[in-house]
Amino acid sequence: MKKLLNVRNVVVGNEEIKILREISFEVNEKEIVSIVGESGCGKSMTLKTIIKLLPKNLEILSGEIYFDGIEIVKYDAMEKIRGKEIGMIFQEPSSYLNPLFTIGNQVEEAIKEKIEKKEKKERVIKILKEMGLSSNVYYQYPHQLSGGMQQRAMIAMSLINNPKLLLADEPTTALDLTTAFGIIDLLKNLVTKYNLSIIFVTHDISLAKYISDKILVMYAGIIVEKGPSNLVYTNPLHPYTQKLINCLPEKYKKGERIKTIEGQVPSLKDLPEGCPFSPRCEYKKKICENYIPGEIKIEERNVRCFKYGNFMES
Amino acid sequence: MRRYILNRLFQFIPLLIGMTFISFLIIQISPGDYFTQLKMNPEISPETIENMRKLFGLDRPVIIQYFYWLKNIFTFNLGESFSYHVPVSFLIKVRLKNTIALSIFSILLTWIISIPLGIYGAIKDKSFNERVLSFFAYIGISLPSFFIAMLVIFFISKTAILPLGGTTSIFYENASGFEKFIDYLKHLLVPGIILTLSGIGSLYRLMKNNFLEALNSPYIFTACAKGIPTYKIYFKHALRNAINPMITIFGYELSGILSGAGLVEIITGWPGMGRLVLEGVLSFDLYLVMASLLIGGILLIFGNLLADILLALVDPRVRLR
Repeated sequence: MKKLLNVRNVVVGNEEIKILREISFEVNEKEIVSIVGESGCGKSMTLKTIIKLLPKNLEILSGEIYFDGIEIVKYDAMEKIRGKEIGMIFQEPSSYLNPLFTIGNQVEEAIKEKIEKKEKKERVIKILKEMGLSSNVYYQYPHQLSGGMQQRAMIAMSLINNPKLLLADEPTTALDLTTAFGIIDLLKNLVTKYNLSIIFVTHDISLAKYISDKILVMYAGIIVEKGPSNLVYTNPLHPYTQKLINCLPEKYKKGERIKTIEGQVPSLKDLPEGCPFSPRCEYKKKICENYIPGEIKIEERNVRCFKYGNFMES
Repeated sequence: MRRYILNRLFQFIPLLIGMTFISFLIIQISPGDYFTQLKMNPEISPETIENMRKLFGLDRPVIIQYFYWLKNIFTFNLGESFSYHVPVSFLIKVRLKNTIALSIFSILLTWIISIPLGIYGAIKDKSFNERVLSFFAYIGISLPSFFIAMLVIFFISKTAILPLGGTTSIFYENASGFEKFIDYLKHLLVPGIILTLSGIGSLYRLMKNNFLEALNSPYIFTACAKGIPTYKIYFKHALRNAINPMITIFGYELSGILSGAGLVEIITGWPGMGRLVLEGVLSFDLYLVMASLLIGGILLIFGNLLADILLALVDPRVRLR
C-alpha cells in the first residue's frame, strides 16, 4: 500500500501554548483513519493543520507533513491543494454552508477545472445523485434541506474534484442516529468508488472501530496510542484508551453504574510537565511526572506510555 | 411577491390614519394654539381673536377638526398655514425639494464612502491603517453634528472655497441651466459634507463589524477549505452576508430624509424643511406641522417596505416566509 499522507513530529501552537505535540502518523491510500479523543484534545486542530487553515494565533512550529510527495508545511500554494486534492467536511453542515447561495452554486464554485457552465451543472447534479440526493437539490438553499441532506451536499462539495484525501471533522455528531449511519455507510462506500482516503475525527470510539482501518487516540495534544482498529478496541494498551473503552455503555449490564475516568482533562495552558495523562493514571510512577514518554512499538501498535519498555523500575 | 407588496400597501392606509390621528390629538390637546400669542397684544380685541378662531375652524371639537383635515388630505389639500396665509403645499414645495436633495446627496455620499471603508477595515483588522480609521470613526461618532458643522463652517469661511448659506448665488438668475445646476450643487456641498461627516463614523463601524462577523463564520472556513480565490471569499461569501443587516438600516435612513438634516439645515442656513417645521412647531402652525408629519410617516413606511423588499431579494430565508 502506498503512503498518501505522512505526518512527522508536528508541533502546533504559539509562544504560550502547544496545541499539538509531536504528532506523527501515516495514512495509506484507500484507508480510513479515525482520530478519537475528548473535546479539546486537538482532533480538529490536527485536520486544520493538514489543510493549513489554523486560527491566526497558531502556527506549525516544527515537523513535516508529506502529502502525495509534497511537503506541505513549507508549501505556499495551498489553494491548489485545498478542495482539489484534500476535501473537508464539518460537524454542523447547517452553519458551514453559506445560507444565501443555492447548493448548486456552492458545489459548482468548488470545481477547479475551467469547463463550461452547462458541463459544470451536469457534473454537480451527477455527484449530488451519487450522494443519494435528488437533482432538485441543485436549486435549493441550505435551510430547505434536512441535516442529513445538508451533510450529503457538503460531501458532494468536497468530492467534486475527486480529491485523494477527505478530512471529516465529526460529520455525524449533529445528526440523529439513523441519518448518521446513512452518512457513515456513504463514506465507507466512497473509499472504493473514489479511491479515497479518509481521516475521520470522532469522539465515539465504537463508531471509529466500525468505520476505520486505523485508530489514533489523542489526549491533550498527544497521540497516546495508534494501531489497527480491532486491536486498539479489543486490547487497548495505553491506560487512557483502556479507561475510555471501559466507559462505553455496551460494556455494562442494565442498571450497572458506568465507570467514568476520574479527574479532568488538563487545560492546555497548564499542562503537567511529564505525561499529560499522569494525574489521572493509576499506574503513575515518578518518571511519568517528569518526562513525556516516547513512542514504543508493541503488538503492531505505537504507544506512548512508560508502562511498556523497561522504564517502570526507575 | 406582488401580492405581498399590494398587501403591505393596503396596510398603509389604516397605519397612516392612526399615526396622523395621534399626532393631531397630541398637538391639539397640548395647551395653547396659534392665537395664544395674539392674546398678549392689547391692540387685538378678544372678539377679533374669537372670530379668527372660528374662521380657522379651531373652535370645533378636536375630533371634528381632525376629520375635516383628513377629508382635505384625500383631495390632496394640505390646508393653509396660519402664519404665512398661503397653502401649506405651496410653502413646502421648494423647501421639500431642497431637503430631499440634501438628504439624498448626503446619504449616498455616506454609503459610498463608509461601505468600502468598512470592508477594508474588516479585512485589515488590527492593522495600523485599520486602527487609524477606527480612531477617526470614533471621533466622528463622539462629536455632535452641530459641532462638526461649526468646524466645517469655520474652515469654509476662512478659505472661502465654497459658498455658505442659501441655495443660489447672486448671478443665478442670469445663468444657463447647467450653470444653475452647478451653482446649486456648490451650495449643497457644505451642508452635505457636514451631514456625511457626522454619519460616516457609525456606518463604517457597523459595516466593519458585520463584515468581520461574516468573515469569522463557519461558511467562510468552508469556502477556504474549497480552495476558492480570496476575492471570491470576500466579495461573494462574506459581502453578501454582511450587507443583509445594512439593508434594514438603509430603510430607516430613508425615513430620516425629512427630519435627519434639520439641525444642520438651520446651522448652515440651508432653506429646507427643518427650519420651516421648527418655526411651525413653535408657533402652533397646525397644518404645516401636520403636513411634515404626514410626509415623514409616508417616508418611514416606504423606507421599511423598500428594506423588506430588498431583504427578500437578497436573503432566500426571508423570501420563503
